[in-house]
Formats: sequence, C-alpha cells, structure tokens
Amino acid sequence: MPQAINNWQMDQKADLSQPAAKPKYISTFRALSSYAKPHWLAFLGVFLFTIIAIAAELLQPFLVKIAIDDKLIGGNGDYSGLLVIGAVYLGLSLLSLLFTYMQNNLLQYAGQSIVARIRKQLFEHISKLSMSYFDRVPSGSLITHVSSDTEAINQFFNQVLLSLLRDGMTLVFIIVLMFQLDVQLTLYCLILLPVIALIAIGFRSYMRKTYQMARTRLSRLVAFTAENLSGMNLIQVFHQEKEQGKQFKERNDSYFQANVREIRTNVLFNRSFEILSNISIALVTWLGGKAVLDTNLEFGVLYAFITYIRQFFQPINTITQQWNTLQSATVAVNRIWGIFAIEPEVDDRKDAKPLDPAKVEGNISFDGVTFGYGGGSPVIRDLDLHIKAGSMIGIVGTTGAGKSSLISLLCRFYDVSEGSVTIDGTDIRNIPQASLHRVIGLVQQEPYLYSGTILDNVRLFDETITREAVIRACEFVGADPLIRQMKDGYDTRLSERGSGLSAGERQLISFARIIVFEPKILILDEATANLDSHTEQLIQSALQLVSAGRTTIVIAHRLSTIMQADRIIVMKKGEIVEEGTHTELVDIGGYYQELYRHSQGKSMTEAG
Amino acid sequence: MKSPRLLADFFRQTWHIYLFSILFHLIANIIHVNFPKVLGDFTNELESGSLTTDAVIRYSWLLLGIGVGFALIGGLAQYLVMYVGRLFEFLTRRRLFTHFTGLSERFYSKNGVGKLLSYFMNDVTSVRESISMGVNQTAGATILLISTVTMLFLSDIPYYLIIACIVPLLSIPIIVTKFGPVIRKRSMSVQESLGTMTESAEEQFGGIRVTKKFAVEGIMNRRFGETVDRIRDNQLRLVRVSSIFQALIPFLGSLSLVIALALGGYLTITKQISLGSFVALTLYIRMLMNPLQQIGNVINTMQRSRASLARLNDLLGNEPDIKQFEDALALDFRESGIYVRDLTFAYEESSRPALRNIDLEIKPGTTLGIVGRTGSGKTTLMKLLLRTYDAPPGTIWFDGTDIRELTLESLRGQIAYVPQDGFLFSTTIRENIAFYRRDASLAEVESAAKQAQIYNNIIDFPDRFETKLGERGVTLSGGQRQRTSLARGIIKDSPVMILDDSVSAVDAVTETDIIETIRAGRKGKTTIIIAHRISALKHADEIIVMDDGEIVQRGTHDELLAQEGLYKTLHAIQEEGSQHAAGH
Repeated sequence: MPQAINNWQMDQKADLSQPAAKPKYISTFRALSSYAKPHWLAFLGVFLFTIIAIAAELLQPFLVKIAIDDKLIGGNGDYSGLLVIGAVYLGLSLLSLLFTYMQNNLLQYAGQSIVARIRKQLFEHISKLSMSYFDRVPSGSLITHVSSDTEAINQFFNQVLLSLLRDGMTLVFIIVLMFQLDVQLTLYCLILLPVIALIAIGFRSYMRKTYQMARTRLSRLVAFTAENLSGMNLIQVFHQEKEQGKQFKERNDSYFQANVREIRTNVLFNRSFEILSNISIALVTWLGGKAVLDTNLEFGVLYAFITYIRQFFQPINTITQQWNTLQSATVAVNRIWGIFAIEPEVDDRKDAKPLDPAKVEGNISFDGVTFGYGGGSPVIRDLDLHIKAGSMIGIVGTTGAGKSSLISLLCRFYDVSEGSVTIDGTDIRNIPQASLHRVIGLVQQEPYLYSGTILDNVRLFDETITREAVIRACEFVGADPLIRQMKDGYDTRLSERGSGLSAGERQLISFARIIVFEPKILILDEATANLDSHTEQLIQSALQLVSAGRTTIVIAHRLSTIMQADRIIVMKKGEIVEEGTHTELVDIGGYYQELYRHSQGKSMTEAG
Repeated sequence: MKSPRLLADFFRQTWHIYLFSILFHLIANIIHVNFPKVLGDFTNELESGSLTTDAVIRYSWLLLGIGVGFALIGGLAQYLVMYVGRLFEFLTRRRLFTHFTGLSERFYSKNGVGKLLSYFMNDVTSVRESISMGVNQTAGATILLISTVTMLFLSDIPYYLIIACIVPLLSIPIIVTKFGPVIRKRSMSVQESLGTMTESAEEQFGGIRVTKKFAVEGIMNRRFGETVDRIRDNQLRLVRVSSIFQALIPFLGSLSLVIALALGGYLTITKQISLGSFVALTLYIRMLMNPLQQIGNVINTMQRSRASLARLNDLLGNEPDIKQFEDALALDFRESGIYVRDLTFAYEESSRPALRNIDLEIKPGTTLGIVGRTGSGKTTLMKLLLRTYDAPPGTIWFDGTDIRELTLESLRGQIAYVPQDGFLFSTTIRENIAFYRRDASLAEVESAAKQAQIYNNIIDFPDRFETKLGERGVTLSGGQRQRTSLARGIIKDSPVMILDDSVSAVDAVTETDIIETIRAGRKGKTTIIIAHRISALKHADEIIVMDDGEIVQRGTHDELLAQEGLYKTLHAIQEEGSQHAAGH
C-alpha cells in the first residue's frame, strides 16, 4: 500500500499526457544483455548455484523413494544404508542453504550494479541535453524515468530473472526426475501441462485486468483524498463538506467493488489450481496404484510422484506471476533507451576553444538575430543589439515580447536561427558550453536552492571553493549578518529548497553565488519581482554591488529596478521598439511612458 | 469522552461472517488433514498385500474428494475473510473522510497531508491485513496444526518420534518473528534511499538551469551518483538477511525430514511402526511447514498493525475544535454589520499573540481595506471571521450575535472568501468556479469568469470551461489560478466578500481592472480587501494598517496620507520607488 502513495506522488510529478509508446520496440533481454556482459561470470555463477540449490530440495522425494523401495520394503534391515541416505540428504540440504544464499546475493549484486550504472548514465545523459529539451519535457516525467523506470528494471533482475532461473529450472528438474522414475506415468502427467498453461494464461490476463482496474481506482481515491486534505480549509470555508463527502463515497464505492472482484478472481484462480493439482494426484494414484498392483511399479516411485506433482504447481504459479513485471520492465526499457537515443540539440563544436576567463572583457553583440522555438514563428526578428563591456542594460516589455528568449540565446540554451551572438567578437557557437556558462552568470526570478548547507548552496557543492571565499562573498552582498543569525551559521541545512528563507534571503544567496563564481557577464531575469517593498530595497543595494565591473543585463517588470541603467531597451513582439535612458524614454512619450504611468498607478486616478 | 474502538465496532457488525469463515476453515482443514492418513492406509494395504483394484479406485476417489473438498470449502472461507477485510477498509476510510472534513485548520496546521494520507492508506491497510490475512492464516494454520498433531498422535507413531521430528519446525515461527522486523527495517531503508534518489533527481532537474549556468554538471552527477550507490548498498544489505531467511525455512523442514528418515526409518525397519505410518509422517511434516511459517508472519503483521490501529483510534478520537452549538441560529448578513471588540488572539496559549486589542466596525454595505507586512495578522483576522479558528468568546459579533452562536452554514455560506494561494481542485474549470453552487448554469459561470478577468484565458483552452485542471490537465499560472479562485468567490454572490491578497500575482493593469469590476459589482455589499498594493484598496470606506498584530493606523486613503506613518511610507515606496532607487 505504500506503493499506492508512491504511485500517487509519482503521478503528481509525472506528466501522464505524454504518450509512452515509442516507435521502435526493444527487447528487454537484448537491451540489458549489453549491460550484463561485464557480469557474465556472476551470471554463470548464479546459474550453477541455482542448480545446486534446487537439487537438494528436489532430490528429497527421490531419496525417500530409495529408502522406501530399497531399504524399508526390501526389509533387509539395512539400517546403515538408511543412515547414509539421511546423511546425504542432510548434506544436500546444507548445500542448498549455502547456495541459495550465494545465488541470491550474487544475482542481486550483479543486478544492482547494472541498475546503478543505468541510473547514473541516464542522469548524466539527461543533464547533457539542451535546455530546449527541459523546456519541452516536464521535469516530472524525467524523474519518472530516473526512478520508476529504472526501478522496473531492478524488479526485472529481482523477480523475473530470479523466478525464471529458479522456478524454470525446478520445473525442468521435476520433469527430468519424473522421467527417471517412470516414463509412462510421467507422460500421463504431462497431458495436464497444456491444461495448466491454458488456465494460467486465461486467468492471468483476466486477473491483470481486475488488478489494473483496482489500481486505477485506488490512485483515483488517493489523489482525491490527498487533494481534499490539502484543500480542506477551502472546503470548510465554502461549506462543501457534504458535497465532497458524496464525491468521496462514489470513489470509495468503486474501489471497493474493484477489490471484491479482485478477491473473487484471486480465490477462483488459486482454487482451480489447487483442484487441478488434486486431480493429478488422484490420477497418479489411480494409474500408479494399478501399476503397483501389477507389480511393474515400485511403491516408492508412486510416493515420489505424488510429492513431485504437489511441487509441480508452485513454480508454474510463480512464473506466470512474473508476466506483469516483465511487461512493465519492457515498457521501462523502451522509455529509457528512447531517452538515450536523444542527442542534445545544442552541441559543442569540435574546434570550439574555451575562453580565458581572465581575458574576457564582456562586449556582447547580437547581429541580425532571428529566432523561433522549434522552427515555429519567430519570437525574435532581425534584432541588432550591442552592449559595451561593463555597462548596464535594462530590458522591459510585456510577457511574450522576447526578453527571456534573448537571454536564452545569449546563454546558448538555444541556437539562433539566423544571425549570430558574439562575446568580445567570438561567436558563442565557437565556445564550449561549459566555458561560456562560466563567463555568463544568471540570476533568476525564483532563485534555486538545493537541499544542503548554505555554504554548499553558495559554492554549488564545489569543494575547491573555500569556506573563506564563500564568507567573503556573503559579506560583500550583505547576506553575512543574516546567515550568522541562523542556527548553524553557514552550516545551516536548508529544508525543502530553502523554504525557511524569505524570497529576499534566497535571492541574496544567489547573488553570493555570482560573486563566488565571478562571471564577467551578469543577467538578472526579473530578479526582484515577487519581493515586498522592504526586501526589494535590500536587494537593490546588493545588486549595485554585484553588477559593478560586470556587463549587466536586467530584465524587469518593475521599472524601479532599471531606471538607473545606462540604457533601457523596450521590446515588443520580438523587436526593439524604443531605446534610451529613463528620462529620454519618458520624454519620447511612447510605450515606455505608458508602462511607467501604470507602475505609478496613476492611470486610474486620471480615469476615475 | 468515549474513545473510539474501531475494531470492536467492526467485529460487532461482522462477527457472523467471521464465524462462518472460521467454521469453513475448520471443515476444510479437517478434510485436508486426512490426506497423509489415506495415503498411509493405502501403503499399509499395499504392503500387506490386501490391496485390490477396487481399493485403488476407491483411494483415488477419496484423495480427489479430499483435495476438492479442501479447495472449495477452504476457498469459501478465504473469500469471506478477504471480503470482510476489504469491507473494513471501505467502512473505515469512509469514516475517516467524514472525520477529516470536520477537523479544523488548527489540526491541519500540525498534521501534514502526507502524514494523514499515510493514516488513510497505510494504517488502514495494515489493520485490514491483520484482520483478514491474520484471521485467515491463524484460523487455517491453527486448525491445520492442531488437527495434524492430533492425527499424528492418534496414529501408531510413538510420541517421541513425533516430538523429535517437530522440534526443528517449531523454531520456524521464532525465526520468522526474529527476521521479520529486521527484514522490514532494511527494506524500509531501501525505500527511503529510493526516495532520496527521487528527491535528488527532482531537485537537480528542477535546478538544471543553475547547473548548466554554472557549468557544475560534474559535481551534480557525483551528488546524484552517491544517492544511487546508497540504494545499491541498502538493497544488498537487505538481500543478505532476506536470503538467509528464505533459505533457512526449507532447511529446517529438511532437518525434520532427515530425523523422520533416520529415526522413523529405524523404527520401520525394526517393525515398531508400519510403512504406512512412515509415509504419513513424512507427508505430515511437509504439511506442517506452511502453517508454522504463516503463524510467524501473522505475528509480524499483528505487531505492525497494532501501532496502526492505535494511530487510527487516536485520530478518530480527535474531536473537532470548531463545533456548532446545538442552539446555533442563522442570521441574514445583508443587514448585519461585523463588530470586533477588543480581540486578542494567540494560536497557542503560550505563544505571542498574533492579534492584539483589535477593535473594528464594518457596517453593512461598506468596504474595508487592510494593509500591512507579511505576518502582521491580516490573514489571522480573516480566519477568525470565518471561524476556521475560534476567537475568544464575546470578541466577534455579527450585529448582536456572537460568532459562535451562528450556524456554520449561515456563517460560511454568506462569506465569499478568496484566499491568496488560489487553491483549485483537479476537476474542470467550470466545476471549480461553481464550487459553491454546483448547479450554476454555464452563463453564470461565464459571467463570474468575465468579472474575474479570466474569461479570455479560459476560452483559449481547447475544452474551454470543461478543461480539466491539475495532474492530468492543464496547469494554470499563479495569476490565472488566483483569478479562477476569484471567480469562484464572485459566483457565490455573498453579502460579505473577503479578498485576502487575492490578486497579488496578477499584473498591475489587470489588477486595476479587477478591483474596478468588483467595486461596481458589489455596491451595497460588505467587502474586505487585503492587499499589498495600495492602489488596490485606496477607495475603501475605511483602511486599517496593521503591524505586528495591532491596528496602528486607520482612516480613509486621504486621511492616512496626511499622517506620518507606515501607510505613507508604504505609499512612498510604491509610488515613488523610482526616485528612491535612482537616488542611490
């Protein structure tokens, strides 16, 4: 049942509208075999161990048969022979104990190593993909790939492979032993095999359906309850307790019905198997008993047969249960391999040369840049913009004007469709991304904090950056007094991405990051939105400090943030429509002036 | 107060089903236990040479009868108990949900959704398991155990042989109870590390921009890799215990058989017991292994579910702290003002008051504006007006009636509250807007959406008002959510409306329009507006400025501007932020 909550949480994160189907089908066994190759010795070991492990269990009826036929019925009173059989059996049991243990551990070791490798590779691969991929694919479905899909592969090793090995071989052994004992009786028994298979398959697919139905209804129930719990205040304030209770009842009822159906199927299936197994036993007793009477069969053989028949049904049952797991593993493998097949859209050129951070001045040029997402209609049209090293540029415009796209191009999250972006005259496509990214710093509207200490959040877990450097940076941006007030100072662990901090405090920490990493170019993407007026003041002064000596581009909703910029660019529909200092732009009396009036709240006064 | 006894109540309802189930178990197992005996008799007849073809057929039919009888009757017993277990789940969840709807915000602020959900899912299931699987297996296993042992003792097999063979088997339940909790603990740490990895992936993909921008991919890969390795290590730790456990149980069975073989064989050879008894003994030993293992499992399940049951009973024992008085009355808010008299309120008795000495008069049909910093007590005041928390007696009045004397329906039905977070349900937009009036026509919904300035966004969606929100539907932006939530408040068309910073994520231009529309639409009705931006509330009949739980200033916009104080400062920062910033 914790599974149900997990599933629900997964569903929350995942985007289920994405079609899961990939055009090319990949066999799970084939896909995983390349990963299994380095572990072939381990798998061979597992195979051998399994044989030894199951041998003891299966030889038991055989040994009892010998005891009965040769020692007891023979009645020669050969007790030492009986003791030998006992000793052999004890020995076999000990071996079984040992090898079952080793087999399990070895298989798990190999399986877990493979899964761990797939997980790491997948994560690394996804991290390498371009921003365009992340913009397109919700992070929820990426998380599903990394955790649930790889977990499905884990289950494949844990359950499918283990069961195929162990139960499959048990079946083979039983049949071989039965043939050993008596060919005719075995052949009679094997007539049952197709019947068993038919019943098993028929029931399984039916059971899968009922199981899935129950699961879907369960997740509906969980999702509904979770949502109502988080929105309980609202339900109460709107006095809708009864109405929601009615909706709950409907879901609870339908889940209960699915459950009852599931139970019915389950019991029916188990019992049919049980009855089938008993029919076989009766059949063997009848046929075997007659044969014993005609003295062409020893009684011990009959005894062994009856025991084997009883053992025969267990592995069949277990193997058919694996079908579901195998299916979900196949889906998972296909999804994961589908991701492996994706190439990053923005790639480093082979002849790309890293910039020397010390020599970068920070002149930026957009020359005739046109760009549209995914080849769609352009969001930036033939744009020219030249920014001198060390200057501060403000960009304003409504949502969709192309401000953020402009920044994405400069950071090379996307490549331009036409024209070029250059830094100090070098086309950014000729710079390796890692080097480019170190030169350009970006502060986002929602600063992203990791769970970890404040220290690590500032230096981004890079231990080559010293504690002193971090402290100096925090002092510089004015975050130091605030951090020292916290429980463990710089070693305070942030919970849930810094939820304990205010928006302003989080922003200060992200400023300290910039100081530590020293990019020559700084982009502030609406970094001061969402702050209340008091905090904004604090941030404003930090911003002054951070931007000193850097080429700074500020995107802002609030004009107050950019009024002191050297130059303000006003964008509309992917083009620059106005340009100049604050005073110049207000004087022009264009779009900027309109924005300015709105921010002052004066339009209303005039209208009203 | 009477403590709820979840299980006792349930058993009182369903004891007859249990009775039948146990009865069926009894019959099934008594039938089953004859299996080795029949086979033993068969052997004896065979050995003594008295076996005939007719007898063989008779024995075959007998075995078939035993098998089928056990399967059918046992199946019925199983079905009944499993059914009753699900019934328990069903009834308990229903009861829990009703209980949840009665609990107040004070309770929810202390108990997160995850925790409550785990009560609702895991604990209920865990109790279900022990009363269905537990009863099933205990009944089945005990009966089988007793009847098997009885059968054994009734046979000509000497007691010391039986005891010698059973001793290794008796350690099975002990081993199960020893290993069970260890395995469980380790498997939980596997789950936990899996959760950690998921969180790590979530965190890193969420921060991919940061990772890329600072070019620290290598470090992040390493961090993620650590979580992956931890899963592997935990998993292997789990396997080390669980595989010993899995191998040990069959081994103990084998040990019993070895004793039966050696000792029983010796007795057979010396003719102290018949061959038939020997055969029966070996079969009985196989039969005993299962129930013994099950009893161990049941002990583990019971232990786990005892804690679950206690938690559930605790939860149900939690009485809602907001209760409607029995003689509560309904009042028409259109005519009544809201009066707050010397209200001081703290969330916890020991903690600092969140509100201090609040005095307030809101005459019917007027508009009150509230400004103040985060944490100044604005929302707390609203919560008290809605009675999601109880204010001290005699502090909040609707005309002459204390808020506690009102029915909850009359209070909450007549106040339209629009919270800041804009919580929406994962249903259609239409259902969300028509939350209070489920039968509202599409035209009414559309009109509310227009007033909230969300109409144009909605008709851009392919399914328009029937568009599903949430998990499997579209995700709205913060501003869109707020406006939808506003439409939900507007359609209620209540005598009192509270806008609790309801349009904070909406841009300034749209905000102005919304406030205008609401002002026009709510002429003659009471409205309370909480806002950060002064432009949103400057037309209010009265504005109060709150700071640290107190009303520090009150008056109209113009009056407040004329005074030195927080209002004027805030106004200055907002209106002339430009000059401020430029002055640096």
